[in-house]
Amino acid sequence: MTRQAPMVLTIVPVAALLAALQATTPPYAMLTGPIRTTGHQTETVLSTTFGVKVHRVLKAGTIAYARFGRAVQLQTSGVWIVVSAELRAFQKTMPVRAATLIGASGRSYRQSRRAGEAPGILSAKVVQPGLPTTGIFVFELPDDETLGMKLVLSEQYDPQLKDEIGVFLEDDGTASRDRLEIGKDGV
Amino acid sequence: MTRKMSRAWLTKLLAGAGGLLAAALSLGYSLYEQREADMIPQVEAATPVEAGRWKVSVSRSTIDAAMPNGARISPGKKAVVVEMMLENISAESSNLYGNLIKLANVHDASKPQYYLKRDRAILWDLHPRMPEAVTAVWEVPATLSLPTVLRLRIEGAIFKPRDNLYAAPGWFPSGSVAEVALPLNVGIEP
Repeated sequence: MTRQAPMVLTIVPVAALLAALQATTPPYAMLTGPIRTTGHQTETVLSTTFGVKVHRVLKAGTIAYARFGRAVQLQTSGVWIVVSAELRAFQKTMPVRAATLIGASGRSYRQSRRAGEAPGILSAKVVQPGLPTTGIFVFELPDDETLGMKLVLSEQYDPQLKDEIGVFLEDDGTASRDRLEIGKDGV
Repeated sequence: MTRKMSRAWLTKLLAGAGGLLAAALSLGYSLYEQREADMIPQVEAATPVEAGRWKVSVSRSTIDAAMPNGARISPGKKAVVVEMMLENISAESSNLYGNLIKLANVHDASKPQYYLKRDRAILWDLHPRMPEAVTAVWEVPATLSLPTVLRLRIEGAIFKPRDNLYAAPGWFPSGSVAEVALPLNVGIEP
């Protein structure tokens, strides 16, 4: 018994230490996840590679625009959210293809591909360094999700070791309207 | 000497019996699992079925000569059109509904193309808590004889917060959750 005591005294703490290390190791998905920057709608939020300033957040039951000279009207079972913003790139030419709204319940709503051909859609543009680019992002979500929304932008969806900007949107700036015209120069 | 011999014999006997028992248990379990897997619950048409990421209620099926968005179908093909209500019950927008419904009694059916009824256009993402009326279209050879009752199998998916490879969250297939039998109405024969 006395001969085994030192061995037991070594093995038990070592096993405990290893178990603790294993339990607290951050998962791969977190280690290779996005590099997050968050800010508020009132300020310009900057990351290393790109920056965003959200101008207006509009809520509408129907959106309307002209596509190839033909009028398009889109209805939704929830509500349309149109976010107008200005993007800046700092290091190189880049698109900002991924835009997601996190709703009140924490569910994430990607930008609507139904309105993908509306004029001025930012995810269809590329941002050149030194040339601020303005445009809109269009989302579709249930009405009760529109309180305390957060806009999340990145170059591609599910960025890995790339910048991701989160912007908390203001609640009172979102007054709903029946119909919203999206013109050539935004909303 | 004899005692030693009988002890060795007993050990061998026990090992053999243990092995046989393990084999029998394993066989019984796999038979049981097979039986469980074969019993897919049958549901009525227009019944909402929860299949992990999606909630779907299939309402009717037709054979058609045109796509739901007005486009023509490929020459030498006809379209099996299935109408349904589809809701995303996961936490994020998704367009991964391609494997949700399979035709159980049509051979060599390719993946369906989904259309959004509201826009008469191709369906992209479906957003959480926003059910939509959609149609799924399978293009099959025009010469293929189709059954009068279409059997649709709804495939489930399971969410793992940490998968076995990257410890990353993801959805994984979990087998069929329901089967719906629908009369296949002939719309416009090609």
